[in-house]
Amino acid sequence: MDTIMIDGLSFALPLFIIAIGGIYSERSGVTMLALEGLQGFGAFVGATTVVIYRTYVGASPPWLILLALLFATLGGMLFSVIHALLCVKFRAKQTISGVVVNILAVALTTFFTSLINAAITGNASNKYQLDAAYRFDVPVLLSIPFLGGLFKKLYLFELVIVVVAVLMWYLLYKTRYGLRLRACGENPHSLDAAGGDVNKTRFTAILICGALSGLGGMCFAYSISANFSPSSYMGYGYLAIAGLIFGNWNIPSTLLACLFFGFAKSSGYQLCLSMGLSSNFSDLFLILPYVLTLLLLVFFSKHNRAPRAVGEIFDKSKR
Amino acid sequence: MSGHKGKRGPGRLFLEFLDNDKTSPVAIPLLSILLSILVASVMLLVMGKNPVTAFATFLRGCGLMPKPSYAGGQGMLTDLASFLGILAPMMLASLGVIIAMQTGLFNIGVAGQMLMSGFVATAVVGYSNLGAFLAKPLVVVIGAVVGGALGAFIGFLKYRFNIHEVVTSIMLNYIISYVTGFFINTYYADQVSRMSKVISPQSRLTITGIELGSLKMSFPLGIVLAFASVFAVRFLLDRTTTGFQLKAVGLNRDCAQYAGINVGRNMTLAMLLSGVFAGLAGVTYYLGYFNTIVPKDLASLGYDSIAVSLLGNTNPVGSIFSSILITIFQKGSVYMSSTVGVPKEIASVITGILLLFSACGAYMRYLAHRGRERRAASTPTAGGAEITTGEGNA
Repeated sequence: MDTIMIDGLSFALPLFIIAIGGIYSERSGVTMLALEGLQGFGAFVGATTVVIYRTYVGASPPWLILLALLFATLGGMLFSVIHALLCVKFRAKQTISGVVVNILAVALTTFFTSLINAAITGNASNKYQLDAAYRFDVPVLLSIPFLGGLFKKLYLFELVIVVVAVLMWYLLYKTRYGLRLRACGENPHSLDAAGGDVNKTRFTAILICGALSGLGGMCFAYSISANFSPSSYMGYGYLAIAGLIFGNWNIPSTLLACLFFGFAKSSGYQLCLSMGLSSNFSDLFLILPYVLTLLLLVFFSKHNRAPRAVGEIFDKSKR
Repeated sequence: MSGHKGKRGPGRLFLEFLDNDKTSPVAIPLLSILLSILVASVMLLVMGKNPVTAFATFLRGCGLMPKPSYAGGQGMLTDLASFLGILAPMMLASLGVIIAMQTGLFNIGVAGQMLMSGFVATAVVGYSNLGAFLAKPLVVVIGAVVGGALGAFIGFLKYRFNIHEVVTSIMLNYIISYVTGFFINTYYADQVSRMSKVISPQSRLTITGIELGSLKMSFPLGIVLAFASVFAVRFLLDRTTTGFQLKAVGLNRDCAQYAGINVGRNMTLAMLLSGVFAGLAGVTYYLGYFNTIVPKDLASLGYDSIAVSLLGNTNPVGSIFSSILITIFQKGSVYMSSTVGVPKEIASVITGILLLFSACGAYMRYLAHRGRERRAASTPTAGGAEITTGEGNA
């Protein structure tokens, strides 16, 4: 039971922070299919930082993970500029731009990982090995009956995610910027009439999305396999999209959706182990989150309402 | 004055070429290709490689230019046949993407549909001992049916339950990848290669062992299927009521509904057809080119086909040319990386850059249009030329 909670939470939280990124972008009216590429690129920049630091400074102190998270955030933000430029400035179709970013991210990161690896270590592998991340228990809370598992063996980044998520919730729902951003996704022309700058709002929303995705991607790189390689593109960015649709584009309900995915995934895996099936069968249990997503969407997407202006290119002259 | 005019001539022609309704569908992709090759050349130069030799080795790897030396029984023609073998699924897959896009849908699940149809065909026909005349058509039919069923499922969920087709197809991609991976690992795995066992030659969509002089040739049947499909799709979209309805739904859903077109039915039909071609791509890929399936590996060709159809202006005939171009990069990259020494992932980088520029196509056209308007405004004599269209509305 504890293992299900520990693994579920460490999967759900990175997914959640990526989904928040998606919410920012979509609530501002920009379709965001690029989460997968953004999280991967962020993880790539973060992992590169770690590898370079380790090679040239020689040590790998425990706070290196924070540096990695910081650079992953910056990297994701940097890469999201492409999506922002394409969608806002160049008026490309937003779904297509998302796919462009994903394809470019996979290609560029694989390409540069082998180049950088060859330059630093002389070994042209396409994989960065990271150190195992430090984990800790929360002293008192872990003895809570039943829910105690949520406070055991936490990663440092889970704490970071919780803090960032609260900040992001505040920014979206309680500030002027957040109000403008949400207006931008519902009725951009009213924002324009009120003196706001639609393009600027969308641009910043996409940058925030990139930053959060990069952060989430780095967390995945640490928690799942402690490395960065082309297999880091496991499609969790897409799962985050499903999560935010399932969560009806709201941050609190998206958290529930992500927790659901996380626990479905970890309990499926534990179920497989407890039934004593061979490792081949774990594949069948791994489809659980995806099947459940589809099933739940069948029941819930009727009530779902996407931001009204999502996917529309803002044209000032059109009213 | 005359020198001034001479300088202006080609510039204006260029803008007109970009902005004219007739030439722009060719001009914009051409410009995108030129720009991408330029960017790729700069990248190669930065890495200290000669771009001309690098691009030549791409062509050599595809049998479009002679290599300096060949192994026994091989030659430019065998390379070319192998190139055509991988070109066929690329063309078919991009047809699938095109039909969906013409209807305003986005089939990002081509890779999954390919894998599923390839797997079912392999499991049902590939390991049976049916004769070639029964097995080959059966493989094609299975590909079409399985792919079509998956596509129709996606379309149905969109139409009936309002689930975004991108989400459905991505979920299906992962489900298919894990489920087929499970079956291959459990029942069909080759113990040495960890891939599925090689299929029987009777069920392959390739004719092997043709002796042509000193060469041992094989001929991919998929390429015939691919070219036939291009013209079938072109006919469907341009000459039939169904095609007109599909395109009407793609242009404006509400308007189509108002005109009495059944939007839901047409969306399902479009995804069904899209799936059919993705399925055909799957069987030509797994049972024509590779003969085996790597478990839990979605073909990157499925995603490249999106780039192909965008570059080809979502036009069936245009996709022939863009398929050839992108396949040259993808297929030639193996030979290129072994001779020039650049990681073969550069092919995907080039594809990505190509896609990046083609996504900006509407903006390029808009710039060209604005450029022409400016010129027209500044020089009334030269500006008598009619300016035909509004801004690109993508």
